[in-house]
Amino acid sequence: MTSEGFKRHGSNSYIAEFAENEREILINLAEQIIELLAERIDHGHEDPLAAMVGITSHDSPPEDEVLHRLLPNAYQDQADSAEFRRYTESTLRNKKQAHAMAMRMYLKSAEDGVIDLDHDGANAWLGAVNDIRLALGVRLNVQERTQGELELLAPDDPLRGVYIVYGWLGWLQEGLIEALMDDS
Amino acid sequence: MVKTDTHIEEQIRAIFSGDTPWVTIVWDDPVNLMTYVTYVLMELFGFSKAKAHELMMKVHTEGKAVVSTGSREEMEHDVARLHEYGLWATLQRGDQAL
Repeated sequence: MTSEGFKRHGSNSYIAEFAENEREILINLAEQIIELLAERIDHGHEDPLAAMVGITSHDSPPEDEVLHRLLPNAYQDQADSAEFRRYTESTLRNKKQAHAMAMRMYLKSAEDGVIDLDHDGANAWLGAVNDIRLALGVRLNVQERTQGELELLAPDDPLRGVYIVYGWLGWLQEGLIEALMDDS
Repeated sequence: MVKTDTHIEEQIRAIFSGDTPWVTIVWDDPVNLMTYVTYVLMELFGFSKAKAHELMMKVHTEGKAVVSTGSREEMEHDVARLHEYGLWATLQRGDQAL
């Protein structure tokens, strides 16, 4: 990884330069989030009007652990949570997909590897990177494993690469937040 | 006129109108970076850096913190915005045990 991360330029510009392999990794991760969220699209809706205004027939949380973390319960109470989910889950899913699509679009259009975000773009980018980290965090089981255990993953452990990307994304996110907070 | 925190005003209004206020709780999460939680609280709620940092530290050390108080509808809106940015948040009646 060679990128120096995001730096602030002027009042509303946050710029980072990525090597080709870094750009490919980031595009790939954003696309995985877009595809994963698409798995949750409600195909079996019987009422087109309800579907149009965003009411879904989903009233239980996703079985997939990653999707569950991206689309969490809003109440500790199951019945309240189910009701809330029916009316809001598709909106949340669309917003998360929009963040990941914005990130993908910035990367795809930056053939020289230079990404230039304004404040709103930076917020979408942060949301997307955070969703990717949440997804990788579930795969790495960071809830149960300590950082020490993760550091000690064997070089041939497939999770080793995931952990390196997870750490790099955290570093990238931290740098962008520092650049954003610089002007506040 | 003493300028009160809007948060306190909301609570007082709720007490006088007889409605129990609802609360939005942010829970600790091992993935979300401390700086990210602070930044999201500043962006979504307009908190100062100091206030957002204090709430983030409460989440980090105590496992959870109340970040907003108001009507049920307002808290549902806040939880939805926090979920959009990946924070782990729930809402409940303010008189329920945290």
